[in-house]
Amino acid sequence: MMAEASTVPAAVVPAPAVSASHVAKRFGATTALDDVSFNVTAGEIHALVGENGAGKSTLMRILDGVHRPDAGTVAIDGIPCRLASPRDAIAAGIVMIPQELRLVPALSVAENLALGDWPTRRLLGVPIFVDRARLRAEAGRALSDIGFAPDPDRRVDSLGFAERQLVAIAKALRRRCRVLILDEPTAALEKREIDRLFGVLQGLKSQGTAIIYVSHRLDEVVALADRCTVLRDGRVAATARRGAFSADDLVHAMTGRAIAAHEPPDMPRGDVVLEDGATLADTMRVHGGEVLGLAGLLGSGADRVLRRLFGLSERPSVVRVNGTTRRLATPACAVAAGIGMVPAERRLGLVMSQSVRDNILLPSLERLRRGGRLDRAAGARLVAGLMDLLDIRPRRPDMKAAALSGGNQQKVILAKWLARAVGVLLLDEPTQGIDVAAKAQIHALVRDFARRGGGVIVGSSDLAELVRLCDSVVALRRGTPVARIERSDLSETRLRTAIGG
Amino acid sequence: MKVSLKLDRQRLAGQAPLLTLLLLCLVTALMTDRFLSPLNLTNILVQSSIMAVIAMGMTFVIIAGGFDLSVGSTAALSGCIAAMVMVKAGLLAGVGAGVAAGAAVGLANGLIIAKLDVNPFITTLGMMVLVRGIVFLLTGGAPVGDEGLPGAFLAFGSSRFLGVHYLVWVPAILLAALSWLLHATPYGRRVFATGGGREAAYLSGVRVERIIASTYVWCGALAGLAGVMLAARLQSGQPTAGEFYELTAIAAVVLGGAALHGGEGTLYKTIIGVFIMIVLGNSLNLLNVDSYWQRVAVGAVIIAAAAADRIRSRH
Repeated sequence: MMAEASTVPAAVVPAPAVSASHVAKRFGATTALDDVSFNVTAGEIHALVGENGAGKSTLMRILDGVHRPDAGTVAIDGIPCRLASPRDAIAAGIVMIPQELRLVPALSVAENLALGDWPTRRLLGVPIFVDRARLRAEAGRALSDIGFAPDPDRRVDSLGFAERQLVAIAKALRRRCRVLILDEPTAALEKREIDRLFGVLQGLKSQGTAIIYVSHRLDEVVALADRCTVLRDGRVAATARRGAFSADDLVHAMTGRAIAAHEPPDMPRGDVVLEDGATLADTMRVHGGEVLGLAGLLGSGADRVLRRLFGLSERPSVVRVNGTTRRLATPACAVAAGIGMVPAERRLGLVMSQSVRDNILLPSLERLRRGGRLDRAAGARLVAGLMDLLDIRPRRPDMKAAALSGGNQQKVILAKWLARAVGVLLLDEPTQGIDVAAKAQIHALVRDFARRGGGVIVGSSDLAELVRLCDSVVALRRGTPVARIERSDLSETRLRTAIGG
Repeated sequence: MKVSLKLDRQRLAGQAPLLTLLLLCLVTALMTDRFLSPLNLTNILVQSSIMAVIAMGMTFVIIAGGFDLSVGSTAALSGCIAAMVMVKAGLLAGVGAGVAAGAAVGLANGLIIAKLDVNPFITTLGMMVLVRGIVFLLTGGAPVGDEGLPGAFLAFGSSRFLGVHYLVWVPAILLAALSWLLHATPYGRRVFATGGGREAAYLSGVRVERIIASTYVWCGALAGLAGVMLAARLQSGQPTAGEFYELTAIAAVVLGGAALHGGEGTLYKTIIGVFIMIVLGNSLNLLNVDSYWQRVAVGAVIIAAAAADRIRSRH
């Protein structure tokens, strides 16, 4: 079902816009890629999926000229070539749009589009002045090509992420890009913006651009891709054409096994453990044993609610924890009240340059104080127990947090709050950019935390995740709760209607 | 096999400051016989002791992700205040006033940097000039306490205990106490966490502003103590003392392997960094290198140390 079936005679098929044949790449003792062949033709969207560490990034970086393969070849239009740097790749028409866009925030849209290739006016034959009129006109043309029309004089930092992404794509096209590589382009987008992006990509495809689309969101891949290649442990696990694969097939190929859909069991609810003092009515409260979801379009304020409950607002917030009113001026107050937070960005959840051990113990240092000093033995026992419980790999407490995979980093952040024995966990986009297997593990850990009597609030833009994970979900519009939906009524459709998406 | 080789290389890289120091000593000893004379070695120890006290405070600030250019001026301020108070109120009051003055400068730095979020480089650059101005206002530019300093204070600057100068005992004891503070206590772990990732530490419930401010207080107080030691050695409070000490101290911390972006560093390696800087100066003197060229050499070493820091952090 997932095998490449090439029935068309080779002579009719044009050479792929870019192809990698039998490439291998090792980093030290780790094999990142092993005999991987991959290609994309003009006018095709080829999706690349796989778990974290499967080799997607390495393959992209080889096509983007950052890495050179140890074995195998890269060919452009069927002609083998050496891409020694991203500069070579751009010259060959290959442009990558990374998750963190490479735009200059303080410059205008037009200036960003022209960066490195300014239209100039000459004085005595020497190009001295930037030709502003031409700069603006060219920018307008490049943007209207993809059906997007912001004021070219607007500063890039005044645009939202989705718009900046379109600017980055327009910039790539202005450089006569023929192969566009997109890395997790929808991770930070909301539904409407995703639809617009897909419209743009379909437009580019019909104009003959080859697109490599890397994503964890398998439903998008199924909807968008003409072909899909699954990497697992540095090898191609499967390649299939549109219509020949489903999201479940992809999961199976990525992990080598099927992941059972997780139904949260009904649990007895304990007392209210956390109640928001800022909202009236009984919407924003969570009981012991309950997982409460916050659903909303991007910018609807789910993250602001979580920040408020963790003492991160401009002004101190007032909450009731276990029936006691608390004023939260800083996160330190929230932690003292028994609240832990897992931020959306992992670099905010972890001190990357410190060891896993130091990170796990950071909120609990005061509890491990014995006569002025830190009780190292007790700390080591606590860390070892949590690393086993959460299956954090590798089991090396002295490893730097930065060296772990995304899923394991997220587990370390959870371990940090379990070590502190908090009563309430606030999770902001807990599985964003995390592979399927780690996602299931993290969901199980969160359920387990609730089963032991903890209260959990999860903000997520992934409605399917909320339906799978939560006992009840509060729908938000512009920062205000508009509905509270209980387990029995919970479905993606119901949620989408409630948040107005 | 491959793994053990790699570990060895890492361990070797960790000892690079010590190896550099030994190589520097070996080369100097081979080129001049005066280097190993007891008088010269004592001189190096005493010179290093004052710089070591300053550099240990600087290590606190740099581990927490900061920077302090005001330590040289602070040392001069504390030396002069200590001498002034001592003449009137006795030895202990003088030493206390000197250290307290340093801590006060550090607190001012810390509050401005942590609470107002002003760039540490600019804040402490301003403080360096400001404090130096205060020193000249206080003293009128003349040395303080040529006469009337307590005999015990003068003895502290020149005599020995168990064959080792009192001045050398100070950093030796501080090294043990401060290493314990930095590596064995919750406070120390918080300093490292704050420097390694300020926002992540804040979101873990660490009161990062207090931690940052506290490192500047340590740095100021230790610079103050160093200023008092310097006054004891010079037998007076000198308003011009301590110039360029900040650069030597920062160079020593970086040579000792601390990361300028914060989160890494050890006091013992900072001390080795201090020895490298002092022995370098000493050996250039013994080799009769022109003093202008010495400045060129010291400046180059500072830039090289900072460049090595960047190259390290890339890997």
